[in-house]
Amino acid sequence: MSDAIHIERLHYRAGKTFEIQELDLHVPSGSIYGFLGPNGSGKTTTIRLILGLLRPLSGRITVLGLPMPEQHARVLAQIGYVPEQPHLDTTLTVRELIDFQAAFYPRWDRARAAELVERFELDGEHLFGRLSKGQKAKLMILLALAQRGDLLVLDEPTDGLDPVVRRDILSALVTYVSEHGATIFISSHLVHELERVCDWVAVMDEGRLITEAPMEKLKHGTKRLVVTGAPAEIVNPPFRLLTRESANGGGAGENWVVGDWEPGMTSYFESVGAAVRDVIDLDLEDGFVELLRSFRKGGAGR
Amino acid sequence: MIAMFRAVLYTQWKWSRLIVVLGTVAAFAIPLLSLQGAARADRGALQAQELLRAVQSWGTLYPLLATALGLLMAIAAWAADHRGRHIHALTLPIERWRYVLLRFGAGFVLLAAPIVAVLIGSSLAALTATLPPGLQSYPIALVVRFAFAVFVAYAVFFAVSAGTARTAGIILGVIAALILVQVVASIANLDLNLMNVAQTVLLLGPGPLAVFTGRWMLVDV
Repeated sequence: MSDAIHIERLHYRAGKTFEIQELDLHVPSGSIYGFLGPNGSGKTTTIRLILGLLRPLSGRITVLGLPMPEQHARVLAQIGYVPEQPHLDTTLTVRELIDFQAAFYPRWDRARAAELVERFELDGEHLFGRLSKGQKAKLMILLALAQRGDLLVLDEPTDGLDPVVRRDILSALVTYVSEHGATIFISSHLVHELERVCDWVAVMDEGRLITEAPMEKLKHGTKRLVVTGAPAEIVNPPFRLLTRESANGGGAGENWVVGDWEPGMTSYFESVGAAVRDVIDLDLEDGFVELLRSFRKGGAGR
Repeated sequence: MIAMFRAVLYTQWKWSRLIVVLGTVAAFAIPLLSLQGAARADRGALQAQELLRAVQSWGTLYPLLATALGLLMAIAAWAADHRGRHIHALTLPIERWRYVLLRFGAGFVLLAAPIVAVLIGSSLAALTATLPPGLQSYPIALVVRFAFAVFVAYAVFFAVSAGTARTAGIILGVIAALILVQVVASIANLDLNLMNVAQTVLLLGPGPLAVFTGRWMLVDV
C-alpha cells in the first residue's frame, strides 16, 4: 500500500521556542488517519507543512506521490482542506463561496455540492460571516468534499461543535471515503471522536512524534498491568513500558502501563521472577494520556 | 484560467463596487465641471487666460482621483485575504504568482470604468464647450495620462498592500531612517537634503511618480 502522505526527517523551527524535530509520518492511501496531540503540540504546523504553506528547514514531504512544497499547485488540486479557524471571506454568501471554489478545482462536483447544501440545510444567500459556528464548519466540509479530492486534510474540523453537527460531519466524511476510496488526515484532540472513525493514529507532542500505529494495535496493545515481584531493572522487555508506579498500598504491587502488548507476553514476567496479577484494557483516551505522560518523563519511544 | 479570473473579478467587484461607482461618477464629472464656464451661453466664452486657469485648478483633481482610486482598490483587493491570514488563497490549487496576477488584473479591469468615464466626460465637455480662439482640447491625451497614473498608483499600493505587516514595517522603517538621517544632518549642519533628492528621483521625469506632477490640462494652447 503506497502512502498518501510520506514525511521523512522533517525539521522546522518557528521562533526560538517551537520546533518540529526529525518527524517521520506515513499515511497509508485509503486510510482515515487520526493525528492526535494536545494543543500546541505541532499538529497545525505539521498540516501547514504538508500543504506547502510553510517551508521546512530540512527533510522531505511527499503528498500523493509529489514533492511538497515544490509541486504545491498540482497537489492542492487533489486536496480538500478544512482549517482549524474559518478562513473564508465573511462578506461573501454561501452560494458565492461555492461558485468561487468551483472555478479553481477541475474536478468540482456541482451535484454533490448542491446535495450537501440541502443535507446540511445551508441557505445559499446567507453571508458566511452571519452563519453559526456549526454552519460554517459544514460549509467548509462541503467545499472540501465537492472538490472530489483524493486526500482530505482536516484540522480539528469538529472542535467546539455540538454533537449533532459533529455527527453530521463525520457521517459525511465516512460516506465520502466509502464512495471515493479517498484518504483522510484528521487532526484533533478529541480522542473519542477519532477512535470511532480512524484506522490509523499518530500521537504528537512538543513537536515530536510519540507513536504512529494502526488504531487496533494502539487500542488493544495498550494495557494497564498489575505486577508483583518485579525487579527494579528490567532488561529487553518484548513490550513498551510506558509508566511504572506503585499501586495503592504498596503491597498490592505495581501498576505498569505498556504498549505493543500481546497476551503471550505474561511469560516474560515469569522469566524475571515476577507475576502479572491483572491485565486491564485501556481505551484510546487512557492510552493517549499514558503515552503523553511517559513521553514527557522521557520514556516513550516509537 | 478564465473561470478563475471571472471568480476573482466577481469577488473584487463585490468588495470594491462602491469605490468604483463613486470614482466613475467623479471621473465623469471633473472634466465637465472644469469646462462649465466655457459652455455658459449667457456669460459668453471666458477669456482664454481665465479658462486655462480654471482648467488647471480642476486639473489637480485628476492625479488625486487616480491616487485615491489606486489606493482604495489595492486595499480592497487584499483586505479579505489579510482577514483570513491568506490561508484560503494559499491553499487554492494555483501558483501564487498567478493568483497575485489574477487579483491585480481584476482590479485593473474594474478601474477601466473611471478611465472610460474620464474619456466620455472629457469628450463631452470638449464637444459642448465654446473655446476661445487659440485653445484646443486634448481629451485623449488626458485619458491616457489618467489611465497611466491610475495604473502606477494601483501597482504601487497593490505591491505594498499585498505584503505582510513585516513588509509594511520595512517600508515605514526606511522612511523613518531617511527622516532621522535628515534630522541628524540638519543638526550637524551638513549640506544634505534627502527630501530634495527623494523628490527629484521620484517625481521628476523619468521618475516612477512623475506622471502625477505637472499640469493636467483638458484644454491648452
